Amino acid sequence: MPRRPSGRRLAKHQPLAFSPFMRSLAFASTARRELPHSKDCQCSEDISFDEKEKLPKLSKKQVDEQFGDDSDEEDSQGDVQADFEFFDPKATDFHGVKILLQNYLDDKEWDLSSFVDLILEQTTVGTVVKVADDADEAVFALVTALNMARYKDNKCFRELKEFLRKVCSEKNIVNDLEMLLEKKAQDVGLLVSQRVMNLPPQLLPPLYDGLFDEVSWATEDEPSEELRSSFRFKSYLLVTKIYKLKNPKQRKPRHGEEDIEDTIFLKPEDELFLELSSWSFTYPMRSQLVTSKEMKNYQLMGLVMAVDANKIPKFRQMLNSLID
Amino acid sequence: MATRLQFENNCEVGVFSKLTNAYCLVAIGGSENFYSAFESELADVIPIVKTSIGGTRIIGRLCAGNKNGLLVPHTTTDQELQHLRNSLPDQVVVQRIDERLSALGNCIACNDHVALAHTDLDKETEEIIADVLGVEVFRQTIAGNILVGSYCALSNRGGMVHPHTSVEDLDELSTLLQVPLVAGTVNRGSEVIAAGMTVNDWTSFCGSDTTATELSVIDSIFKLREAQPSSIVDEMRKSLIDTYV
Repeated sequence: MPRRPSGRRLAKHQPLAFSPFMRSLAFASTARRELPHSKDCQCSEDISFDEKEKLPKLSKKQVDEQFGDDSDEEDSQGDVQADFEFFDPKATDFHGVKILLQNYLDDKEWDLSSFVDLILEQTTVGTVVKVADDADEAVFALVTALNMARYKDNKCFRELKEFLRKVCSEKNIVNDLEMLLEKKAQDVGLLVSQRVMNLPPQLLPPLYDGLFDEVSWATEDEPSEELRSSFRFKSYLLVTKIYKLKNPKQRKPRHGEEDIEDTIFLKPEDELFLELSSWSFTYPMRSQLVTSKEMKNYQLMGLVMAVDANKIPKFRQMLNSLID
Repeated sequence: MATRLQFENNCEVGVFSKLTNAYCLVAIGGSENFYSAFESELADVIPIVKTSIGGTRIIGRLCAGNKNGLLVPHTTTDQELQHLRNSLPDQVVVQRIDERLSALGNCIACNDHVALAHTDLDKETEEIIADVLGVEVFRQTIAGNILVGSYCALSNRGGMVHPHTSVEDLDELSTLLQVPLVAGTVNRGSEVIAAGMTVNDWTSFCGSDTTATELSVIDSIFKLREAQPSSIVDEMRKSLIDTYV
């Protein structure tokens, strides 16, 4: 699915979407949004459930988001009703998740299919966001955390590590990166978070809360000690994308023109993660996302950062106050 | 034998290439792995032409062709047309046609003898197809889908169609096309057969997500193995025989 940058001051863009629902969602301009309902109980024993049944009293992970009151789909300026649901990853999500992760390692040809398989096999930690009653079962967002050491023998992880070593051009960070990839891999979680561009930000706090809660439950509920300790992450590694101004300081804002931002974050939580990170580096990306003309001064860059696990509660707090 | 490959991490090889018995077109901009896979199978036999159509890389879906000719849409530029005419063998007629439905690869499924066409194609287009490609044209749908070019992969020896095609439809199409057909999938359950693979009489290229089961079905229906036809073909034989003389 083509992704668009959700920069702060982009004009209304033409949507590129393949299902009628996505088209109306993309057309919706200003939606009056209600606050999300409080999450229903989360039963940690039996995480997997059948998504076709919506059991309001027993539902494990379900957050309803309802937007506006106008569900007229022909009115392209109107609001769109959308019920998003959170699910555990399962094997049939393969194609949807693969599309989301298409550009994960820039244009490197790697074993993306096995990487997606690993994500989908880990049902205890990880969330996939879909729309209720969608026959296509399109995947709108994915978030998960994979232990670097647990999967280190898989070809896709070897290729991923090789890629990160190759793109890291800052000498003082190379050693830190190497530590996380090799010596300390046992305590490092690769935090994979990808979604479609126009996904409402109200979904982010429950999404991330869900992820970090699942990680802490996994440390207690997993069947073996090895698995339990594999979720005791001490730090998280993130690979994401941002837009950076190509020629900073060359454009002075003229009278009437707004300030030009140096960096545009495609995902708002990346800014928070970057603030809390212990180190980070960027690298230029060769692949291009579909953009508007306002983005012509910006270059797509990959961003890799490491965040200590003890900063996560602060992150959750910051995310909640950012979105509200 | 069927080969599995990817175009820039994308398993839809039928979108970025077009394979016939006389030539092979591939999109520009892919990595060398993509070309070398084609070259290792085809290099000495047929020419492999790198091209774009209308400036895009989705050439497999925009053009339709067989050993007699190649039809390209009106969006093809003059330079691209000239490049194709120069690079392809002389007996292949390259024709640019003015058709509203410009994704010809999605609208036309053909082999060297017969073609299935989108029901809404112009009458002139149908005549040009019959003329340039030297085929008999049938307007059909496949499992209710009008984009016959997308949901059917066809060679002179067999064909694969959308997995939801009914048995009656399979029989009917098989009689029309005079080849055995099977309803199957490619690329781990993808229904868009022609986007996920490309095939000619002796070889086929599929996306790397294609499972071993899907690959064995492809090998047997298109008769890519040297071995005897499998039971799939035996079952289809009844529909191949029109009349007893």
